Amino acid sequence: MNSQSHPLLDIKNLVKDFGGLRAVNNVSLNIKKGEIRGLIGPNGSGKTTMINLITGMYKIDNGAIYFSGDRIDGLQPYVIAGKGMMRTFQISRVFKDMTVLENMLVPALTQDQSMVEAKGLAEVLLEFALLTRLKDEPAKNLSGGQNMLLQIVRGFMNKNLRLYLLDEPFAGVHQVIKGVILRTIKKMNEEKGITFIVVSHELTTIQYLCHQISVLHRGEIISQGTMEEVANDPLVIDAYLGG
Amino acid sequence: MPRLRLNYSGPLLFLLIAILLPLFLTDYWIYALTITFYYVIMAITWNLLGGYTGQFSLSHHTFAVIGSYTSALLIAKAGLPLWMGMASSWIFNAFISVLLGILCLRMRGIYLALTTWAFAEIVKTYIRMDFEFTGGDRGLKTPLFFKTMNPLPYYYLFLAFAVLTIIVIAIIMRSRIGYYLRTIRNDEVAAQAMGVNTVRWKVFAFMVASVFASIAGTLYGHFIGLISPVSGEFYEMSLIIIFVVIGGMRSQAGPVVGAISVRFLAEVLKKWPEIRMVILASVVILIMRFFNGGVMECLRQGYQRIRQRKGRNPVSGFQKLEPTQRHRGNNE
Amino acid sequence: MGVLYCLMSLGVNFIYGIMKVINWAIGEFFMIGAYVQYLLIVIFLGVRYWYVGVFIVAFCTFFLGAFVQKILIKPMFVGMVEEKTEYATIVTIAMAILFRNLAIFIGGPYIYTPPDYAPPTRIGPLPLSGNNFIAFIGTIAILALFFYFLKRTWIGKAFQAVSQNRAGVLTAGIDVLKFDMIAFGIGTALAGAGGALLAPVLLVYPLCGVIPTVRGFEIIVIGGLGSIPGVFVAGLSIGIVESLGAAFINPSFVDIYGFGLLMFILLIKPYGLFGKPERSV
Repeated sequence: MNSQSHPLLDIKNLVKDFGGLRAVNNVSLNIKKGEIRGLIGPNGSGKTTMINLITGMYKIDNGAIYFSGDRIDGLQPYVIAGKGMMRTFQISRVFKDMTVLENMLVPALTQDQSMVEAKGLAEVLLEFALLTRLKDEPAKNLSGGQNMLLQIVRGFMNKNLRLYLLDEPFAGVHQVIKGVILRTIKKMNEEKGITFIVVSHELTTIQYLCHQISVLHRGEIISQGTMEEVANDPLVIDAYLGG
Repeated sequence: MPRLRLNYSGPLLFLLIAILLPLFLTDYWIYALTITFYYVIMAITWNLLGGYTGQFSLSHHTFAVIGSYTSALLIAKAGLPLWMGMASSWIFNAFISVLLGILCLRMRGIYLALTTWAFAEIVKTYIRMDFEFTGGDRGLKTPLFFKTMNPLPYYYLFLAFAVLTIIVIAIIMRSRIGYYLRTIRNDEVAAQAMGVNTVRWKVFAFMVASVFASIAGTLYGHFIGLISPVSGEFYEMSLIIIFVVIGGMRSQAGPVVGAISVRFLAEVLKKWPEIRMVILASVVILIMRFFNGGVMECLRQGYQRIRQRKGRNPVSGFQKLEPTQRHRGNNE
Repeated sequence: MGVLYCLMSLGVNFIYGIMKVINWAIGEFFMIGAYVQYLLIVIFLGVRYWYVGVFIVAFCTFFLGAFVQKILIKPMFVGMVEEKTEYATIVTIAMAILFRNLAIFIGGPYIYTPPDYAPPTRIGPLPLSGNNFIAFIGTIAILALFFYFLKRTWIGKAFQAVSQNRAGVLTAGIDVLKFDMIAFGIGTALAGAGGALLAPVLLVYPLCGVIPTVRGFEIIVIGGLGSIPGVFVAGLSIGIVESLGAAFINPSFVDIYGFGLLMFILLIKPYGLFGKPERSV
């Protein structure tokens, strides 16, 4: 099966309205397996809304979303997670009254892994993310950057993970932790073939990390391509400068 | 979840004491302890719902009341034998609790509290109003479980059921279900994103808590011999909350400790019923304001501090760890 | 009669709108209001000046409420407390118990009967208790005052703003925390005033706040949490439903009809008629 012919994520004519405001306007997008796709755009362009729509947090008003050929729009978020899609939140949502290790276990347990297996995998991941020392700390004691890191590695506990959506993973994060995050994304992408969509404002990081970039503006995709192509696209320049 | 690492010897010791205690006590105290066990059950099960899953239900006592009335009415009006009356009541309760659970699914904290409060008031008011059927304010006589007024067999019955409840809840909380419930309380949206079927587990928590409450209620009804809508008053619910808050809302031993110690205090202060409540209410407020975890949390913190002083626990649980500290860490 | 309980519901809804906190002890402020009014009338003012009493009571409960808010509720917002709704619920419930029992302890479990505010009169062919009439008019007056305050004055509009967007008003230079305190005080003052007005009707005893609380919350659940117009629609609806039910079905079930309406509304609109669900993501 040629991965070029079957996109992992296929979004067709997606529309989302909030009252009178059209947040997502007829967006079509597809992501190939193994890609790292950047999703950028000025503030308010609808990036987080897109993620919420794809992962089932919001109901779509029109269009369709296919994940690996299966139609997923309208499904509950936990079902979509079960199919292998995970996401992080712009403001870290970790389980504050649970320890770092317990946080890690959750996505594995929901995918029917045994406690023992889950603990093993968690410890490996925590080691890789340099968080082992904190594993029995309640997550509320972590700094902002550590929280984001925890959020991100937690997603990898899902054994079915195929597509990972990261919403502003680098925002306000310490350089060292940012390095760990980048390392992790690259490693997971190269070794395990996990596909990523990364939303971020940090254009240099996106350029370094992503194969292709989609630009969102006022709920529409106005450009797509490599960073050079997109950066030189007059529509994009206009969007960022004109607002 | 940070909790006091009691190995099994602690609880077993308490169990042993509880089993032997009646030998040394008057009937009055045996009776009082039996009632205490009832409250232990109510406290622990409410904690499952409110403390762990974060569903702050104000109708827990109502399920005990529904349990006792259903059983008593089935026996009295439909002529069912005792066992069948009780068992049917539990099944009925399971059904109602699932309905209520589903109704409350979309509700967060405050709405849930209001809705369950309304449910509690409705049931209580109905029992009072329909006095031809339920006996209203006069109460309803119920057949006794053991055909005797001696509290001793009831003591062991309630003790056994309390132990059973504690074990069941402990098993649930240590299993993956426990994880799911805790994530629901912490952050329901994130829980969904991590694959937790929040709908199913919220209703599950509701059902388990309420069924156990109804069992406790039926046992209570067939122990006291007379049930009345007073048990459905908000006061009963606030007692449960007081027990759990004072004992410690997020520990397994907390509600037990809370129920027992507060009941004991209440018995001691029996002569001054209002001051008793004023003191208890003030303690609750103080605890919420300053010692959020209740008695068990205090003990745990004290325990940790002692361990720290002995040098066994270099990383205190309560400092924020900044990225710079990581370089000085000893595990890298 | 439903109108009278609207004051309670208004108090709770107003506080909720501003702080997203339900004050379960609101009935106790009602009760305190009733007691204070009784004392004022019997010891200081005499019955002729009952309305002065109501004002004084409103003042006192306002400060009591603000004080309570400052010690107990404010910490919720200054970051010291984690689980906010849980905290608020438990603390206000505990306060309710505290006040109730304190009242029994201090004043004894007796029922005090304040003297009538006004003699029984007649409206057309119907005899009407002077007290009920006064209470009704008084309530309408207070409600009117409240609305004027909310809609016309600058402060009132500020409150509306706070209830709509807490973060936004901060940028407009409003000290939200202070407003919280004032709002709480106003909410409790409404209840206290209600207690003072209704003292001769419901009588003064430690648990006299219980029934108004129940009715008040009934109104809130039906009308929707946080909604001020909802309070009126709900209050009226309950009144109508109860009368109809008592007339056509069975007068002894009177309390249930209101709750029946409540369940019905909850089934179709789980947040009440005008309530708004909270946005989660």
